[in-house]
Amino acid sequence: MYRYFLALRYLINRPINLLGTIGIMLGVWSLIVVVSIFSGYLGAVEEHLRSSTADLSVIEPPETIPFEILQRAIEADENVLACSPRLLWYGLLHPFGARVKSEVIGQTGAVVSETNFVSVIGIDPELDRRVTGFHGWLTEVIDEEMRVANPDRPLDDRADLPSMVISTSRMQREAASIGDRIRLTTGQSSGSRQSESLNFINATFALSGSFSSSYAGFDSLNVFVHIDRMREMLKSPAGSTNEIAIKLLDPDKAEETALRLTNTLKVLDPRMRFTSVRTWKQSNFIQLSSIEHQRSLMQLVLFVIMIVAAFLMYTTLSMMVTEKTGDIGILTAMGGSPLGVSSVFLACGLVIALVGSVLGVVTGCLSSIYLDDFNQWLKASFEIDLFPTRIYNLKSVPYSLDPLWMLIVSAIALMVGLVVSGLPAWRAARLDPLQSLRRD
Amino acid sequence: MSQPILQAESVIKNFRLGKEEISVLKGVDLSLQSGEMLALLGTSGAGKSTLLHVLGLLDPPSKGRILYEGQEVQNLPAQQRARLRHQKIGFVFQFYHLIPELSALQNVKLGSMMDISLGAWWKRRGELDARARELLQLVGLEHRLRHRPAELSGGERQRVAIARALIANPKLILADEPTGNLDSHTADDVLELLFRINQERGISFLLVTHNEELAARCHRIVRLKDGVVIGEELPAQTGASQES
Ligand SMILES: Nc1ncnc2c1ncn2[C@@H]1O[C@H](COP(=O)(O)OP(=O)(O)OP(=O)(O)O)[C@@H](O)[C@H]1O
Ligand SMILES: [Mg+2]
Repeated sequence: MYRYFLALRYLINRPINLLGTIGIMLGVWSLIVVVSIFSGYLGAVEEHLRSSTADLSVIEPPETIPFEILQRAIEADENVLACSPRLLWYGLLHPFGARVKSEVIGQTGAVVSETNFVSVIGIDPELDRRVTGFHGWLTEVIDEEMRVANPDRPLDDRADLPSMVISTSRMQREAASIGDRIRLTTGQSSGSRQSESLNFINATFALSGSFSSSYAGFDSLNVFVHIDRMREMLKSPAGSTNEIAIKLLDPDKAEETALRLTNTLKVLDPRMRFTSVRTWKQSNFIQLSSIEHQRSLMQLVLFVIMIVAAFLMYTTLSMMVTEKTGDIGILTAMGGSPLGVSSVFLACGLVIALVGSVLGVVTGCLSSIYLDDFNQWLKASFEIDLFPTRIYNLKSVPYSLDPLWMLIVSAIALMVGLVVSGLPAWRAARLDPLQSLRRD
Repeated sequence: MSQPILQAESVIKNFRLGKEEISVLKGVDLSLQSGEMLALLGTSGAGKSTLLHVLGLLDPPSKGRILYEGQEVQNLPAQQRARLRHQKIGFVFQFYHLIPELSALQNVKLGSMMDISLGAWWKRRGELDARARELLQLVGLEHRLRHRPAELSGGERQRVAIARALIANPKLILADEPTGNLDSHTADDVLELLFRINQERGISFLLVTHNEELAARCHRIVRLKDGVVIGEELPAQTGASQES
């Protein structure tokens, strides 16, 4: 029993041991806070990517197969709730003309940039409503001047012109107002492979309002028009589509449903043997994996802090053993075995690691939770924005505390403590107790 | 005569220093009766401390036998030797060897924690605490319970060490120059204490000393020179010396 008693007394009476504790605490703290913020951002981005992408997308079905046929086959699947056709194209938006433009300054101080080269997405608003969040993005626009008049029919022709919906930020930047004319230039190749020629297409649209998804990256790149007007512009047959958005009943079964649908389409028509069905994760693979990659890189860097903490702990414990040579002698005389005496130092190490981990976990959780308040305060007091929320259209700094990760980090910290105190303890066990008893 | 509490038979102790082998104890025979107070006299370097360590099972003999109450112990495994040290022997050293982080009371209590599980200690903690206080009272330090060793005088420190040696109820106390570091007045007080403990509690003492006067008050004197016992005297009885 003397081990616990002595270990405790040594720890309490030797403030230098705080160094080791603080080291471990910092290691655990940083691993928890940083990973929780990264996970938070990752989660937020995932959510935003997810909301801007359909559960499943059929990529490039041949345009010659009418949507109705595909729809019947797709909606026959047990996990499909609905699907809607899209016609994706590209184009160059002409400048809106000579008027005073206002720059939209983000919270980061950077000008929100919107290229004029955009993806033009032709959709059927009625069908799309059951499949993507488009309808919600329209109603989410706060400023009435930029909101579509009738969100249920946002892409109806205005006068004799087809409608276009652009992002709220683009509309702001161009100082555009509803009813403005938008000119789009695009091209289309025709002819055979040998004698291919590019035909330019110029089309004029009327601005009917704006949309705002929660993902700025999506907003800046896309504009929406009615799929029928798109088909006319591209001279595609009625019912043609080059992407089908699918809403699932159970999004967790996206992978298996995608596989099943790929097969269904292949069987339906041999022209679709190369048509693939992607999950929303696959569609956004690059964005998701880059954040994931950053997170693992960060973890690696942070473990270095743990190593420094371990080293600190080792030094303090090792110093303690050296200083305590005299105590080791008398403890042995009083009936302590070498193993028992060395376990005093092992216990010291364990307590340091345990206290450090617990403090690290507690402070880690607290600082994750209150990080947003801290960030707000920094912004208000010093105009420093550590965690720009604007990029991802977030209301606050996101965080996500994962109990498993906390457990892993604590377990690692404890293991480090055990290993690092094991060495001095082993040295204590091998010390000759008489050496210290002979002299003072 | 009843069985001796401690016996040493032809104890030899050699130390290796590099290639050289130093013979420090060259066949020591010694026995200590229950309740006996034995003085071990000898010049510096005679091997007194070494003998004490060997007898106290802190250092194994190179050759020879050590018996506690008739039982041979020199070959016991480390764990059992440690237990025996705790149960039968109390140590008092010249330099006290108190643990600086602990108060006087805690230092004494530590002696009762060496061979007990946390649970058992928790059940008996009241009793053990009372016992430590009682022993500190015995050595005259009831007013110094909370003091750290650094806040105690040399004599007081040695008293704490004596109380600590007593807490596990040993049958025997091995004391290596317990007053070697004290002025003569303080030394007398500490020695009085040791004699009193011997008389009142019947604990045997093996007292290493340089001091002839002090040795003369013990039951028996054993003289050590160059690692061999050169004489035994019984001062309390006749003062006559019997050469061995
Ligand atoms: N670990 C060791 N290695 C080598 N020699 C040692 C060792 N321990 C003791 N000695 C030698 O053994 C001899 C006896 O030492 P010991 O400490 O037993 O003497 P002592 O009688 O207690 O002397 P003192 O009265 O000065 O305390 C000394 O010559 C010492 O150098
Ligand atoms: Mg000595």
